[in-house]
Amino acid sequence: MTIYDACESSPQIRLSRRMRIALFFLVEGVAALAIGFAALFVSFDPVWSAELPQQAVLRPSDARSGSLLFKTDDGYKDALRLGIDVDLTVSGPTVRARVTQIFRNPTKDWVEATYVYPLPAGGAVDTLKMVVGDRIVVGDIKERQQARAIYEQAKQNGQKAALTEQERPNIFTNSVANIGPGETVLVQIEYQEPVQQNGNEFSLRVPMVVGPRYNPRPVVQSVDLRADGSGWGATTTDPVPDRDRIASEVLDPATNAPVNPTNITVHLNAGFPLGEVKSHFHQVKIESLDNTTRVVKLAEGPVPADRDFELTWKPAAEKAPSVGLFREHVGNSDYLLAFVTPPSVEQAQQKQLPREVIFVIDNSGSMGGTSIIQAKASLLYALGRLQPTDRFNVIRFDDTMDTLFPAPVAANSANIGNATSFVSAIQARGGTEMVPAMRAALSDTNHDDADHVRQVVFLTDGAIGNEQQLFETISALRGRSRVFMVGIGSAPNTYLMTRAAELGRGTFTHIGSVEQVDERMRDLFAKLENPAVTSLSAKFSDATADLTPSALPDVYRDEPLVLAAKLDKLAGSVEIKGRIGDRPWSVTLPLANAAEGKGLSKLWARRKIADAEVARTTRQATPEDADKTILALALEHQLVTRLTSLVAVDKTPSRPDGEPLKLSELPLNLPAGWDFAKVFGERPSLPATPTERRAEAGDGKVQLAALKRSPVATQSPGTIQLPKTATDAELKMVAGVILLTVSLLLLVFNRRQTSPQ
Amino acid sequence: MRRFILPLAFALIGLILFGQGAYIHAKALVAQVLLERAFTQSIATGQLVKPWSWADTWPVARIEVKRLHASAIVLAGSSGQALAFGPGHVEQTVDAGQPGVAVYSAHRDTHFRFLKDVTIGDEIDVTRSDGKMFRYRADRSAVVRFDQSGIDPITDKYELVLSTCWPFDALTSGPERYLLHATLIESGS
Repeated sequence: MTIYDACESSPQIRLSRRMRIALFFLVEGVAALAIGFAALFVSFDPVWSAELPQQAVLRPSDARSGSLLFKTDDGYKDALRLGIDVDLTVSGPTVRARVTQIFRNPTKDWVEATYVYPLPAGGAVDTLKMVVGDRIVVGDIKERQQARAIYEQAKQNGQKAALTEQERPNIFTNSVANIGPGETVLVQIEYQEPVQQNGNEFSLRVPMVVGPRYNPRPVVQSVDLRADGSGWGATTTDPVPDRDRIASEVLDPATNAPVNPTNITVHLNAGFPLGEVKSHFHQVKIESLDNTTRVVKLAEGPVPADRDFELTWKPAAEKAPSVGLFREHVGNSDYLLAFVTPPSVEQAQQKQLPREVIFVIDNSGSMGGTSIIQAKASLLYALGRLQPTDRFNVIRFDDTMDTLFPAPVAANSANIGNATSFVSAIQARGGTEMVPAMRAALSDTNHDDADHVRQVVFLTDGAIGNEQQLFETISALRGRSRVFMVGIGSAPNTYLMTRAAELGRGTFTHIGSVEQVDERMRDLFAKLENPAVTSLSAKFSDATADLTPSALPDVYRDEPLVLAAKLDKLAGSVEIKGRIGDRPWSVTLPLANAAEGKGLSKLWARRKIADAEVARTTRQATPEDADKTILALALEHQLVTRLTSLVAVDKTPSRPDGEPLKLSELPLNLPAGWDFAKVFGERPSLPATPTERRAEAGDGKVQLAALKRSPVATQSPGTIQLPKTATDAELKMVAGVILLTVSLLLLVFNRRQTSPQ
Repeated sequence: MRRFILPLAFALIGLILFGQGAYIHAKALVAQVLLERAFTQSIATGQLVKPWSWADTWPVARIEVKRLHASAIVLAGSSGQALAFGPGHVEQTVDAGQPGVAVYSAHRDTHFRFLKDVTIGDEIDVTRSDGKMFRYRADRSAVVRFDQSGIDPITDKYELVLSTCWPFDALTSGPERYLLHATLIESGS
């Protein structure tokens, strides 16, 4: 019956069913859209908070989007920008470096820029060039005060001027006056440096950033009254009189993009077939031109100046050449540079003296982050290497100091265990009062004991401003102790390390990453455990020589003796004598066979200047005499020193009268791996207006190319990642339509099946 | 009645999917209206104005191609949430009108649908939230992988890059991106 009924009334029913289906679709569609719109306004809070942690992970590079809230147009425009290009040419024993700093002024004001930057401690700065538009102005060497006066005068006159001053042998300041709105000025300095050698390995180092220094506070209350009772005295002077000159603004990496992009190119011409060439802290591309030359470039284009660049190379042969002799003729004189590596005598042949080793570890705030990890790993390695016959002690210091044992103790397992847990518990914080720690390490309680060799192993990043006080302490108290400096971190103070090691008759080892700890500490222990080459002397058979270093230092295993000399004639030979342990050793080098070298006169002069500075520290020469020697050498060889500066002035005035000049000190990056809060204390809860200061390495490329013979390295593709920019809207809509069609077909199909009955 | 269950289930799923797709488009459209209002207010007051009270992003610029009558308000950041509402200003790239490359990214099927109609030589106007307008001319297009954009962020030229997914009419998302490069021709008004 029902079936019959259905057949009878089928047209109406079919129609109403279609209506119903259509209505159903309509209602569904409206409902879907309504739900969608409601979700837009209602349901987004929880979704976004769930996504927020992702954003936190993106920092610090992502800091920009968060900082836009505070960013003002003025803040942006205040920023002077800087790009750096370093071009190094290694020819045999020497490195010639050309550092180009590109100052760009995007502001509407006339600006004076100052930039504090590091150079290798042994570098001899001899050239300053300033490029304005298509004019190149070459700088002259002048006494420091005079150079400053010339610069200030030019600044007043509205002329463009550049000034290079030395703050420390490894810290320099460039000042550039009158950079006009929208202008770019290039400042280029050049320096000469000897290649470093250690055993089979040659190396060069380009420091890129001056780490923030700890400057002890002056104690103004204490007055030294003269002993004669006349009542006259002097207040104790500030330990760091020039603290303002070596301190720059340091950007917090958490709220600022890195600044000061740097490009590095090394033309390596070793002079012998090359084996492994390696960059330790930067990704590089190495091109091989022939078997003795390589071109090394940064693989990823410019990098922020926040860590040192280190390149090492080894000869293809098993053994590095043990002797190198180079000469240069300048004026009426010949200059000689000699590298001699004494043979290493095997331990078995020598009776090894037991040692008394004092380990000193710097746990100040500047060591926070990765540095303290490296320092602790190095110290734990060293503790493991001690022999039962050795004695040792451990001192840790920040602005406080702890000595583990009251006096050095035997290196038995109980004491070592004690020391290991002491070292493991050390945390980095506080200031860096290095002088009391060095004094404690050098206080020799059993100095009559001739059975032990006394060694001080000092682990630090050297981030202090009162280097001179430390040097004075070492030269006054060293006694029979030898000081071995271990430089830790991405940007250690190499001047402090090398000079302290020299005064302490030890060596300087640098550890820049945790991976280097094992290898470098093994090298250091080879030096500590093997007898040094002592009582060294050099004698020229025919020539009259002015030799430097004037007192030849002791040489440790795998190290070369480096000599520089000024000769009246290049004739005869030089004989170098010394003792390895208790055995005499000597070698004779014929001078006529020396190879041609470049810039050796500058290296000789730089080394003589360092000698004079050492003599001043050790009071072997009066300050006046030392200064006179330094000034004469600097003016003759055109070098920047503590007493001389390079100054370049553009003759054409550019800043109109009446336009004010603003001073802009360029900020520095925090060295990589440092912990901002540990150095500067906790951040204020509201960050200071973070301004975008990303400098551009590409600026002034055209001018740079005109200045450099080799073209500027092209930048590799950027690292900008593009976001995903497709939604699945269309896919979903298409799928939805397909499903709807299928359901419609099914309905129709069902209907057809039933209708014939 | 059992014979209706299957088609009805299909119909329901189909409607939900269609609704979700439509919702994405609806969100893109409605958000632009709110953003336009916030952006106008930003220019007028000189302050950054959030388009709705719980938003964690804000309009930073307006992109316009007059020939196509296309316009979109750009948001700070290029996270997935921001891109649902408008084109995003890719992190670590400069603002329009600054030396360097300003990169804006948006979905190919919503705000940057017009990108396929932009031809070389077209003028692209970018108005910043401080009211300054910069005119760029499209000079080159490229198809690249998302992680090999070839964009040199520290050039000293004044450049603009608009980026979206490629190919334009694909249904699924892939690794390829379409880049439209443009260079500044007029600034500061």
